[in-house]
Amino acid sequence: MNEADVKPKSHRTVFTIVFLMLCGLTGLSYWIANSHLMDNQLTGWLAMMAVSVAKAMLVITFFMHLWWEKKWKYVLTIPALLMGMLLVVLLVPDVADRIATYSKTRTDNAPQAVEAESTKPVESSH
Amino acid sequence: MTSTTNDNAHGHGHGLSYQSAIPVSRGKIAMWLFLSTEIMFFTALIGTYIVLRFGAPDGTWPTPHEVHVVEWLGALNTFVLICSSVAIVFSLEAAKHDDPGKAKRWLLLTLLLGGVFLGVKGVEYNSKFSHGIHPNFPRSAIYDRADTTWLSGLKESIRSQVGLLEKDKEDPQAKEQLDRLLLIQSGMVQWTESKVGRTDDPNMQRMAMESLACQIYPDSFSHEETADFNTYTLNEGKEVRQQFADFESQLSAGNTKLQELQKEIETLKAKGDEAKEELATKTKLANEITVEVTRLTSEIAAPRNRIEAMEELHLVSAGDEHSHGINHDHHLKLPMVIPSGNTWVNTYFMMTGLHAIHVLIGLIVFVVMLPMNLGAAKAGLIENVALYWHFVDIVWIFLFPLLYLF
Repeated sequence: MNEADVKPKSHRTVFTIVFLMLCGLTGLSYWIANSHLMDNQLTGWLAMMAVSVAKAMLVITFFMHLWWEKKWKYVLTIPALLMGMLLVVLLVPDVADRIATYSKTRTDNAPQAVEAESTKPVESSH
Repeated sequence: MTSTTNDNAHGHGHGLSYQSAIPVSRGKIAMWLFLSTEIMFFTALIGTYIVLRFGAPDGTWPTPHEVHVVEWLGALNTFVLICSSVAIVFSLEAAKHDDPGKAKRWLLLTLLLGGVFLGVKGVEYNSKFSHGIHPNFPRSAIYDRADTTWLSGLKESIRSQVGLLEKDKEDPQAKEQLDRLLLIQSGMVQWTESKVGRTDDPNMQRMAMESLACQIYPDSFSHEETADFNTYTLNEGKEVRQQFADFESQLSAGNTKLQELQKEIETLKAKGDEAKEELATKTKLANEITVEVTRLTSEIAAPRNRIEAMEELHLVSAGDEHSHGINHDHHLKLPMVIPSGNTWVNTYFMMTGLHAIHVLIGLIVFVVMLPMNLGAAKAGLIENVALYWHFVDIVWIFLFPLLYLF
């Protein structure tokens, strides 16, 4: 039997399930953003990023067909993934040190949040 | 890519065939390599955003509400992109089954959904531009903090807008806007400037400037802060009204006294030399009262302008939840205070703009492909384009929570 005569296998059901899961996960992100999980922002952010990673994995694995690909997929995806993670990790010291190492001039000119104490009604200068 | 010889049993080089080292097409390998570079590109952008977002001083990063980011629009666009992703997957399935008609219809749907995505993005961009939220100088009206630099920028902005409107005074709408700007200048900006100048207390100075910033653009202040500023302005209003009433009664008394003195001076002048000494005394007194009246006339202008601004521009309610501030209520684009706003704007437009360019490129490719016969022979092409389109979807999957929900 010629290879061209073999009818390719259809994955329509898998794609439909993945589509529904992606919609559900988008709704979950939106729900987390407006839920009590955001009372502790770090927890909320991590939960939302976990949902995003899950969504990205679904798209890569099924829509981009990596599930059905041979092992060559690891040659291209793993180095790119590691380099990407390394890039973000390399930025972490910058995040941690950013404010700790502010010079006085920089602090003086940095964006300033409105402080609760200073917004208490005070007598005007008249 | 290597080649191997399919030698026959006798070692002759008949029937040479070429085999890829990796069992996928060269086009697909090229697309995956390209996507690897794209992963690095967007990782760098998103990583930089994370550094700026989490490295910003505490409490200064704008919330979505402050910069007119509408969460449900972002969620809608996410849904649209997911739908487009599944549409192109079905287009590929149809092509693999050699059904060009169906493949074309799914591809057309992908194109339309991509167009919807860009349309929603356009609406979102427009809502930011209409509030003066532009990437960077000179069009950006955003300042990081309510300080004297912002106050100067505010004065300069009003001055330039007044200059433009004065050329068009005949137009009633322009005249109305001009009068409003002049009132803002005298009853709000100059008033605040004078308050800041009269005290050495940095808290009082900051309070005066932040209260003004809240009246212009309250979106970057919480409801509690806005309520505090309203109370502050209300208390100040009572004092200003009292001050105005005092000035007015002093001025009235001064004018009355001056009129009486002038009558007396006229009478004394008629008497001639016998009242010379008394005339000199009365004239001196009249001069002193004239100086005092002039001073009072000058000083009463500030509280009068303030009261007029408070009433005409509804300053106390300008920051409450039913109002969106002077800028919004009067269609103005006065410099506003959004802490870390410029950094947010630049990163937002950089990331969403580059993503939108990727979407646009995808749409152009779809338009080029649509007239083709999308049968099994073109399945490889559709697969490669689909890989690109899914990558665009993945980037948005990360941008959505980072920009809309964090």
